[in-house]
Amino acid sequence: MAYSEKVLDHYQNPRNVGSLDKDAQDVGTGVVGAPECGDVMKLQIKVDDGGKIVDAKFKTYGCGSAIASSSLATEWLKGTTVDAAARIKNTQIVEELSLPPVKIHCSVLAEDAIKAAIDDWKRKNGKLPAGGEEQSS
Amino acid sequence: MTHVPAPDAFAVFGVPRTLDLDERELEQRYLRLSRECHPDHNRAQDHDDCIAVLQRAAEINDAWNVLRDPWRRARALLEAESPGVLAKNQRLDPEFLGEALELAEEVAAANGATTHELRERLARLLAADYEALAADLRNGDLDAAAKRVHQSHYHQKALADLEAKS
Repeated sequence: MAYSEKVLDHYQNPRNVGSLDKDAQDVGTGVVGAPECGDVMKLQIKVDDGGKIVDAKFKTYGCGSAIASSSLATEWLKGTTVDAAARIKNTQIVEELSLPPVKIHCSVLAEDAIKAAIDDWKRKNGKLPAGGEEQSS
Repeated sequence: MTHVPAPDAFAVFGVPRTLDLDERELEQRYLRLSRECHPDHNRAQDHDDCIAVLQRAAEINDAWNVLRDPWRRARALLEAESPGVLAKNQRLDPEFLGEALELAEEVAAANGATTHELRERLARLLAADYEALAADLRNGDLDAAAKRVHQSHYHQKALADLEAKS
């Protein structure tokens, strides 16, 4: 199955690869995994006082679609607000990258990572009771 | 699609549902079962009979491939005891996933000097995973056991990636 050009572009030139200081107050970190395929995705956001995401970084161990999904997610996150980021849906990633059905779980992983990073930032900043994040089961 | 979902491998072999099966005994049982349904010893009476014998032989081979591998055996055991338990325990601790990510980076960066140490470390992690899995099963904690199986998959994958490099 051929990867779309956009997936290949993100795979070959991933944007925003790296790490932010996970202990910093203004940084939220989300680490999620898909055990069946052994993928791991770490996504971090840096948020200013106004609730705007000023930086985003990722590290992903997985297939091309997983890397492209997280790379694209960081591009979308930078410059947006936490509230808008929370509304990003995996289907938007699927559409942008033309992911085939067997790779949809990669976009789901990216959405989960965004949500986990936002929850972590909220928890650190007293906007969520500890352990009170939504658990999608 | 002609693929029929595989029946419980333990039932096919007629062995108890347990993790610690004697591998020698298991192999002898496999050889006996295969002999019993080998086409040479089973002159099929008619077409339907022939299909049944082939089906049985395929079941035995599938079950053997599951039972001979401790991790696949563990997965089969969990699914037989509590269907869906693996799927519902896919959410792993972020701290563990962070470590898995670091291991993957170490594997990607491994060279002649570090490969040996890394291989040994991964083997130790897998051995510890298996021991913890056995303990979870002894305690009847199937959710914990399912998580353990998923965790081990990251270590197995890291080891396979490392071997593929050298």
